Amino acid sequence: MVFNSIAFVVFLPIVVLLFYLLPHKWRWLMLLAASCVFYMWFVPKYILILLVTIVIDYAAGILMEHYADQPRKKKTYLIISIVSTLMVLMVFKYLNFITENLDQLCASLGMETHLMTHIILPIGLSFHTFQSMSYVIEVYRGHQKAERHFGYYSLYVMFFPQLVTGPIERPGNLLRQLHEKKEFRYENISKGMRLILFGFFVKMVVADHLGEYVDEVYGHLDEYNSWTVLCCMVFYSFQIYCDFFGYSTIALGSAKLMGFDITDNFKSPYLSKSIAEFWHRWHISLSTWFRDYVYIPLGGSRVKYGRWVFNILVVFVLSGIWHGAAWTFLLWGFAHGLLHVVEKTLRKALPTRGHTPLTLLGFGNALRVAKTFVLVTLFWVMFRATDFEHLKAIFVTAFTNFGGGEQMSVKPGVWIYLGLFILSDILLRNTRFDKWCDDKPLVLRWLIYAALAFMVIACSSVCNFPFIYFQF
Amino acid sequence: MKKLLIRIVMVLVMLVVLNWVYSKWFFEKDLRKHSDIVELSWQVVDDSCRIIYLGESSNNNYGEKEVNHRKISDFTSDYFPTIKMGDLTKKASHAQTYYYMLKHIPKSSSVETVVVTMNLRSFGPLWIYSKLETPLRKQLVLLEDRPPLVNRFLLAFKAYPIKTEEEWNEFVFEHWRNDTFNIPDFPWRTTADWDYGMYSYGWYDFHGQRDWDLTALACHYIKTYAFQIDDDNPRVKDFDAIVDLCRERGWNLVFNLMAENVDKANELVGKDLMKLFRLNRDYLLKRYGNMEGVTVVNNLSLVRDVNFIDQDWTTEHYYEEGRRIIADHLALTLRDFYPNDYQNPDSLKMDIGHYFLGGTMALDRQNPYSMTLVLTADSIRPDWDMVNVAFEIKQADGLNNAIFAVEKHDAQGEKSIDSYAVKLQVQKSGIWDFATFALPIDSTFRMAQKIKLYVHNFSESAVQIRNLDVSLRPAYLKPRVKAKSYKSDDVDSGK
Repeated sequence: MVFNSIAFVVFLPIVVLLFYLLPHKWRWLMLLAASCVFYMWFVPKYILILLVTIVIDYAAGILMEHYADQPRKKKTYLIISIVSTLMVLMVFKYLNFITENLDQLCASLGMETHLMTHIILPIGLSFHTFQSMSYVIEVYRGHQKAERHFGYYSLYVMFFPQLVTGPIERPGNLLRQLHEKKEFRYENISKGMRLILFGFFVKMVVADHLGEYVDEVYGHLDEYNSWTVLCCMVFYSFQIYCDFFGYSTIALGSAKLMGFDITDNFKSPYLSKSIAEFWHRWHISLSTWFRDYVYIPLGGSRVKYGRWVFNILVVFVLSGIWHGAAWTFLLWGFAHGLLHVVEKTLRKALPTRGHTPLTLLGFGNALRVAKTFVLVTLFWVMFRATDFEHLKAIFVTAFTNFGGGEQMSVKPGVWIYLGLFILSDILLRNTRFDKWCDDKPLVLRWLIYAALAFMVIACSSVCNFPFIYFQF
Repeated sequence: MKKLLIRIVMVLVMLVVLNWVYSKWFFEKDLRKHSDIVELSWQVVDDSCRIIYLGESSNNNYGEKEVNHRKISDFTSDYFPTIKMGDLTKKASHAQTYYYMLKHIPKSSSVETVVVTMNLRSFGPLWIYSKLETPLRKQLVLLEDRPPLVNRFLLAFKAYPIKTEEEWNEFVFEHWRNDTFNIPDFPWRTTADWDYGMYSYGWYDFHGQRDWDLTALACHYIKTYAFQIDDDNPRVKDFDAIVDLCRERGWNLVFNLMAENVDKANELVGKDLMKLFRLNRDYLLKRYGNMEGVTVVNNLSLVRDVNFIDQDWTTEHYYEEGRRIIADHLALTLRDFYPNDYQNPDSLKMDIGHYFLGGTMALDRQNPYSMTLVLTADSIRPDWDMVNVAFEIKQADGLNNAIFAVEKHDAQGEKSIDSYAVKLQVQKSGIWDFATFALPIDSTFRMAQKIKLYVHNFSESAVQIRNLDVSLRPAYLKPRVKAKSYKSDDVDSGK
C-alpha cells in the first residue's frame, strides 16, 4: 500500500480507531495484522521473505542473550544472523547485478555465459533488513534485551508506517514504545494530522510535479538544451528530497496518531554547509546506522589518516550500494566519500581563514550552502542515471548544448510550489512542521491547513509516481 | 474529545468552503485537463447538433494510402444535409466512456438521436482488461456525480485501477482459463483450451511446413472473439446504463454494431468461432433490439475481408468502402427518425459543389500553400449562397499564423485577397483541431473571373492540415458539422 493512495486514506483511520478502541494487550496483534495487510498490498508472497528474516533474527536475539557469558557462541549466533540476513539481501537485491556483470566479464574474455537472473526486488527489503540487523547487533552488544514476545518483535520489524521506506528504527526507540501503553491524546492526533498533511503536500504537490519535468527531460535528452538539463538537475534534487522527506513525514505523522515517536529522517539537508553536515541532515537513520555499525567498528576517526580515509570510503561506497545494485550508485557513494575526505583534509590543512569581505557581509555561510547544494545536485545525476551511458549523456547535454535543443517551459504553479517548499524548509530548519505550528495563532494555523489541504487535493500532480525509495 | 469534535466540525466547514472555491475557479480547468472527453460533449452543444455519433477508432481510421479520410459519421451525415450531426470519437473508448460522454451533454442541447458504437470485441476480456483501461478510468474520476472537490481528491489519491500491463494481462488469462462455454456439444471448454488446440494443430503452408504466422493469427482470433456475452458482462451493464440515460433524456438511441472480419475468422478458425459470433450477436439483438426506444443496426458481417485495413490483427478499421457500407446501413435506420431530411448523397451532388482537397499537407516556410481550389466565374451556380470550408489543422506551437485565403481575380488580372485567420479558432498545439469557415457568396465573388481558395501558412513554424473540404451550396442546405477528431495520440499513457 502506498501512502498517497485512496486505500491508505481509508486504511489509516480504521487502524487508528481500532488501536484506541482495543485494550493494550491486543493492540500489538491488530498492528501486526494491519502491517501484514499493508505489506501484502504490494505482492503478498514477499511477506514470506520478511518472515524468514524475522524468525532468524528473533531466535538469534534470544540465543545470544542465553549465551551471554559464552562470547564465542554469542558471536557465532550474531554472525549466523547477519550472514543470513545479508544473504537474503544479496539474493533479492544484488544477484541480478552480480550475474549480469559476470556475464559481461565472461563475454569480454570471449566466453558466452547466461548467468543473468531476473529476480524482482521485494519492496523495502533494504530498510527492514537493516532494522533487523540493528536489533541483533544491539542485543549482541548488550544494549538491548532480547525480545521474547514473537509478536512484538515481528511488529518491530513490520511496523507499517516505516516498513517500506524507513526511517530505519533502532530497538531502543521503537521496540520500547511498542510495549508502552498509549493513551488517547488530542495532541497526538493533531500533530499526526499536521505531519501527514504536510507530507502529502511535499510529496504530491512538490515532488510529483517536479517529477513530471525530470522524467520528460531525462527521458528525451536529445531534445533539450543545456539550460533545461541544468534546471532539471536542480528539479531532481528537490524531487528526490521532497519525495523521500514527504514519505518520512507521512510515516512520522501516521505513527504519531497512535502516540509513537519515530526518528526524524531529515533536517533541511540542502541548507548544509558541507558534505559532512549534509549527511547529518539527510536520511539520518541510515547515516547513523552506518556510523554506529560500520564506521565506528572500523575505527572511526581515531585512527591514522590513511585508515580514516579507507573507513570513510568504505562507509560511503556501502551506502551507495545499499541504495541500489548498479555501478552508478557505487559511484555516487564513492563521490560523496571522496568529497567528504577532501573537505575534511582541506579544513585541517588550511589555516583558519580570517574575515573576507564576503564573510563580513554575511555571505560566507550562504556561499558554503550554495557550494554544497551544487555538488550534491551534480552527484544526484549519478543517482538518477539509469547507467553510465545515460550519466554521460546527461552531463554532456548539460554542459555542451547551450545553443541547440528546446527550452523547457515550466508552469508558473510549479515554481510557486517549489518556492513554498524552499520557504518552509528554511522556516523548519531546526524544527518540524507539527512543532512549528504549535506556537502559531489559531487563525494562521487553520489558514495554513486550509491552504495545504487545498493544494494537496486540487493542485497535486495526477501522474502516478511511486515513492523513489520504494525501489531500495 | 470535545476539542476533537470541535476540530472535526471546523474541518468539515473548511472542506465545504474549499469545495466552493474549487468548483468556482478550478474545476472546469481540471475537467478540460484531466477528463478531456467532457470537452467533446460540450462541443456538441456549441454546434447544436441533433444527431450525435459516438465512436472509437473504427470511426476515424483510414488506410495509409487512402486520399479520402472521411469518417463513418461523415458519410452518414451526407444523407442528412439539413441536419447537423456531430461525432464524439475517442480511440479505445467503449460503452463506459460513452456513458460519461453522453451524461455530460448539457440538458440545453438540441440532441435528439444518439448513435453509439457497439463493438463486439469490447465485450471480451481482452478489451475489458486492456492496459488502456488505466488512463480511461482515470479520465472518468472527475466526471462522477460527487462534489467536485471529492472527485479531485479521489483523482489525487489515485482512486482508479492503477495496474501494470502484466497485471491487466493476468486478469485476461484468468478469464481465458476459467470462463467455460455454456453451449451444448461445443468442442471447447475454455478459450485457453481452444487457443492451445489451435496452437497444437495450427496451420501449414503448401510445403507442409508449419505456418507460425497464420497459426498465431488464428490463435489471436480465438483469444479476441471466443467469449460468451451474458447479463453479467460489464459492458452489458454499461450499455444498459446508456439505455437508461437516453430514456431519461428523451433521446432516440441507436446501437451501431460494428462489422468484424468474419470472413477471416471463418477461414482461420471455422464454424465454432462463427457459432460464437452468431450467439453473441443474437444476444445483443435480442437484449437491445426489443427494448423500447432502442434500435440496433447489425453490421456484424456486412464488410468483407478485403475492406479491413489490418489483415494481421483484429480491428474494426475499414477502408473507405467499408466505412461507406456501414454509413449507408446506419443512414437507412436514421431515416426512420428523419424521413423528410433523408436524401441520397448522390442526388445532392446536383445541388452542392463539393471539393475534397486531399490528405495531409505540411505547410512550412519553404512550402506555405495548401492545395488550391480554382473556380471560374461560370462554375458558380446562381442558387449557391455559401462557401463552407472545413479542415483539420495541427500546429507545433500556439503561434500559428495560417489563414484561409480567397483570392479573387478580376477581368483585368487584378487580384484581391480576403483572408480568414485560423488562430481565431485554433489555439491548441500538438493536436488535430478543426477550423471551419462559412463565407457568403457575395457580388464580388460572382463578379470575379477566377477564384482561388487555399490555406496559406505565414508562421515561422510548420503546421499540418488535412481533409481540406470545400463545398458551395444553397443556404438552406446546412453544412454538416465537421466531426471533431480527438487528440491524435488520444489515450494518455497514465505514467
